[in-house]
Amino acid sequence: MTALLEVRNLYASVGDKPILKGINLSLNAGEVHAIMGPNGSGKSTMSYVLAGRDGYEITGGDVLINGDSVLELSPDERARAGMFLAFQYPVELPGVGGMSFLRAAVNARRLEAGENEVDQLAFVKMVRAKAGELGISDDMLKRAVNVGFSGGEKKRYEILQMALLEPSIGILDETDSGLDVDALKIVSDGVNMLRAPERTMLVITHYQRLLNHIVPDHVHILADGKIRKSGGKELALEVEESGYAGIDDAA
Amino acid sequence: MPALMMQPDLSNLVVSGPVRNAARTAWQQHGWPGPRVESWRFTKLDRLGARDITPASSLSPTTAGDGLAMAQGMGAHAIRIINGIIDPASLEALPTGLTAGNLHDDQDAQDAMMALAPPDHPISNLSMAVMSGGLVLDVAGEVPKSLALIFEGDDASLSAHPVVLIRLAPAARMVMAEWHQSAVGLSAPLIGLDLAKKASLDFVKIQTEDSATSHLSATGVLLAEKARLAGFSLSVGGEMARLETHVTMAGEGADCQLSAIYLGRGRQHHDITTVLNHDIGHCTSDQVIRGVLDDRARGVYQGKVRVAKDAQKTDGQQMSRALLLSRKAEVDAKPELEIYADDVVCAHGATVGELDATQLFYLTSRGIPEANARAMLIEAFLIDAIDSVEIDSLSKILLNVATQWMAQTGLTSHGD
Ligand SMILES: Nc1ncnc2c1ncn2[C@@H]1O[C@H](COP(=O)(O)OP(=O)(O)OP(=O)(O)O)[C@@H](O)[C@H]1O
Ligand SMILES: [Mg+2]
Repeated sequence: MTALLEVRNLYASVGDKPILKGINLSLNAGEVHAIMGPNGSGKSTMSYVLAGRDGYEITGGDVLINGDSVLELSPDERARAGMFLAFQYPVELPGVGGMSFLRAAVNARRLEAGENEVDQLAFVKMVRAKAGELGISDDMLKRAVNVGFSGGEKKRYEILQMALLEPSIGILDETDSGLDVDALKIVSDGVNMLRAPERTMLVITHYQRLLNHIVPDHVHILADGKIRKSGGKELALEVEESGYAGIDDAA
Repeated sequence: MPALMMQPDLSNLVVSGPVRNAARTAWQQHGWPGPRVESWRFTKLDRLGARDITPASSLSPTTAGDGLAMAQGMGAHAIRIINGIIDPASLEALPTGLTAGNLHDDQDAQDAMMALAPPDHPISNLSMAVMSGGLVLDVAGEVPKSLALIFEGDDASLSAHPVVLIRLAPAARMVMAEWHQSAVGLSAPLIGLDLAKKASLDFVKIQTEDSATSHLSATGVLLAEKARLAGFSLSVGGEMARLETHVTMAGEGADCQLSAIYLGRGRQHHDITTVLNHDIGHCTSDQVIRGVLDDRARGVYQGKVRVAKDAQKTDGQQMSRALLLSRKAEVDAKPELEIYADDVVCAHGATVGELDATQLFYLTSRGIPEANARAMLIEAFLIDAIDSVEIDSLSKILLNVATQWMAQTGLTSHGD
């Protein structure tokens, strides 16, 4: 079986500084993988490199979606190939209206699939419905993208985008940080609703707490740019109890 | 005498009346500003002075262009000005409240025009002397229909020198659009706006001249007590364009919004120059300037706010922001405050930046193609300025022209 997302011995640096040092991951359709790891270990860098952000030099390895390398693809091409990144720090876009942003994203995907653009009224209805489930107010939808949103609101807005774009690969970078207990539950429910046999998710987190809600099939520990240990969901509990010390020798 | 820059030579031009004769003499004496004139430091006219152009003397048929469509779209009465000459047919059936007169025959109006015209500006002299066409519009009451002045012309060997004086009677109100779409060598409109007490004028000036045209417009504004001017210029066309506006606030409580957007590509040169004279206290002025420059385009904003000694309680704001899309594009922004009063609220600022790479990545990571993402960010950069325009039909025109400009570089915010 070809993996939906495969990261094959991936090396990346910023300037002269190597950050990813040979990452291997294989995510099959239907699976949820969690990545944990100390601050500065390269988790966000990996998510950016997967999404195709500029400024990183790929010094080795490959990233494949359904067996095809995507390293030559631009971020928008990767997104339209099914990749979605929920940012650790969502970006404010003053002057860019939320609704037209969401519509532009959805239409880009639909055009790629050879479908018509969304009907405006139907779209607004659908966005409102999904936003309601995530506790996002109409007022927030009317504002400029992420402008004046609280930390937690920004995270919900990321999940709203994921729900609208229905990616085949969802990468969630610390979507739980900054969320209060209730919001954590709401966001996790939103993510769980998107769990599907044709979809895979990579959930980056520091806390076992999130993984109580979004129960992963696999857990990986990333440290110093490399996956040091992989296991089942109990690995997260182990980390919670004894930290990352001693992980290295287990690699 | 800068003999080299004497184009066009008016020594043989027959001119009637003392005002135009004085203007002709002044032009023959001063010509184009020389290389050391401070207010022309960033915009050089050497190429224009060396160019062989003849002042236009007759109407010629032109292609309709976008101006008429714009006028129709906003339900406006269109006055066509072709090669600088007023098309008499378009002065028929003017909307209620508008009266047209011929500036050629009206010495008093010519005097008034020269009093308004930007002093020491070459076009104040040149266009007053040549006066391809001269129009006086008197405005009374609330004009039920918008007015569109459409400046056309197809002959690159000609220069066009229309002179238009618009006088708003006390409490008169009008909405107006100037649309410059000519393909003449030099388009040099001289325009006067005289607003009496409590008069109100909303206007946009769209400069979308042909890519080989030089556009030099000189506009003079006088605001009486509680008069209100909400003006917005959008400079997109031309090889070189300078839109210069001088405003004098002469009555307390006058309010002047004078904003501008310039969009340049290729080797275009856009200059927005303003002089706002707060001659009396308790007046407000606000200038929001936005520029977007691609390729090797160059942008200039010179804005001077001058607050007279007794003009207490003046509120004068200027903010210029430029966005450079290419490393070879350049901008010179010089907002200036000259304050002689002590109890004022004045602020100015200027920034220059590039598109934000992180914002661009955020948009493209959602599947939005890069060109669309860039267009969305450029539009976002312009939108708050455009949104400040209160009249919907006017802000719509501004947005349309800006969107068209982006589409021409393959930048479109709404898919393919
Ligand atoms: N653009 C950059 N220039 C220089 N160093 C960088 C750059 N981006 C990331 N780094 C460095 O790479 C390392 C990994 O950073 P990254 O943000 O990927 O860590 P992380 O695992 O996501 O950490 P956290 O848990 O704090 O979010 C850090 O040492 C960081 O300082
Ligand atoms: Mg991180």
